[in-house]
Amino acid sequence: MTPPDPGHPPAADDPLDEADFGLLDGIRELFQAIDPMPADLPERIRFSLALRDLEIEMASLAEQDQLTVAARGTEQSRTITFDSDSLTIMIRIEANRDGTVRVDGWLAPPQRREIEMKTAADPLTAASDEQGRFAFARVPRGTAQLIVAPAARGPAGAGRSVVTPALIL
Amino acid sequence: MADRRPATIRTSQPDRGARIAGLLGAAREGSEDALGQIVAELSPLLWQVTRATGLSSGDAEDVLQTVWLRLVAHLDDIHDSAALVGWLVTTAKREAWRVCARGRRQLPADQDLLAELPDRGPGSEEQVILNDQRRRLWAAISLLSARCQELLRIIAFAPRPDYAAVAAALGMPVGSIGPTRGRCLAKLRALLASDPAAS
Repeated sequence: MTPPDPGHPPAADDPLDEADFGLLDGIRELFQAIDPMPADLPERIRFSLALRDLEIEMASLAEQDQLTVAARGTEQSRTITFDSDSLTIMIRIEANRDGTVRVDGWLAPPQRREIEMKTAADPLTAASDEQGRFAFARVPRGTAQLIVAPAARGPAGAGRSVVTPALIL
Repeated sequence: MADRRPATIRTSQPDRGARIAGLLGAAREGSEDALGQIVAELSPLLWQVTRATGLSSGDAEDVLQTVWLRLVAHLDDIHDSAALVGWLVTTAKREAWRVCARGRRQLPADQDLLAELPDRGPGSEEQVILNDQRRRLWAAISLLSARCQELLRIIAFAPRPDYAAVAAALGMPVGSIGPTRGRCLAKLRALLASDPAAS
């Protein structure tokens, strides 16, 4: 390799100039081509933000497993765990034959709560039983978000909805 | 009011910082549309911040959702574009590391960003590296330290007036007075100038 031009080595302390901006434009184009953000992501984020006026507790993604059923390679089930301060929500998503998905869920600690699934179409509702189990038998594919309604009464965590990030089913 | 310096630097990004500051004010007053425009404007930057930590695409999406939801709770504390961009980058990076630490995902020991780029199937790199200029830039970037690669990858997506805020949020201030080139860009330019393939 030949050494850099000794006449005008670009100094770190100099102000940014046109050549720097050109390089940064080039770098941006490179990474836009190689690792682009999913085009629909801002839309999905806006979908989440629309809920922000509720008194909510955000659950964040804790764990995600993708299992492919070995015998029939096309069938997949996905298990996702969300954590919030007062609640852990675990869901298992499985494909139905008709193109919808089935979502089975568990709340920990186990408790009865009303649960809403916000979807691209109409919202669906379900309720967990005393063991914290709930199910949505047929959910349209696409963006979805779970909202666990506030516990009716109780000393801990009462009065707040728990909301998961929007996910793609 | 935001710093409205004349857009002499480059016309392709006319005062993006001032535009974001205006949207921020409207979002604080409850405009869903303004908030949505900020999300559209700055999510590509946060995508690169998050992916540069080595997270999968799915995890990166969750991190972005979490960061934007947190921002809503902090809107009243943030008043200009630089503060917004700095806050978003810092929060995205912290959240990304939290997800990394929590999951069973392991970061490669050698954090070479270019080596971690997603595999998009055979021939994809050839499609991306379309021309000689891009190929030379790619080769030069790959010779930089992992820290410099990360900084330049992220800075390239930042609004121009906010380069300094982004670099500071990444722990690499690029000049206390004005936006200076910084050692990563200086090194990249030296590498490109010494590229024997240039002849």
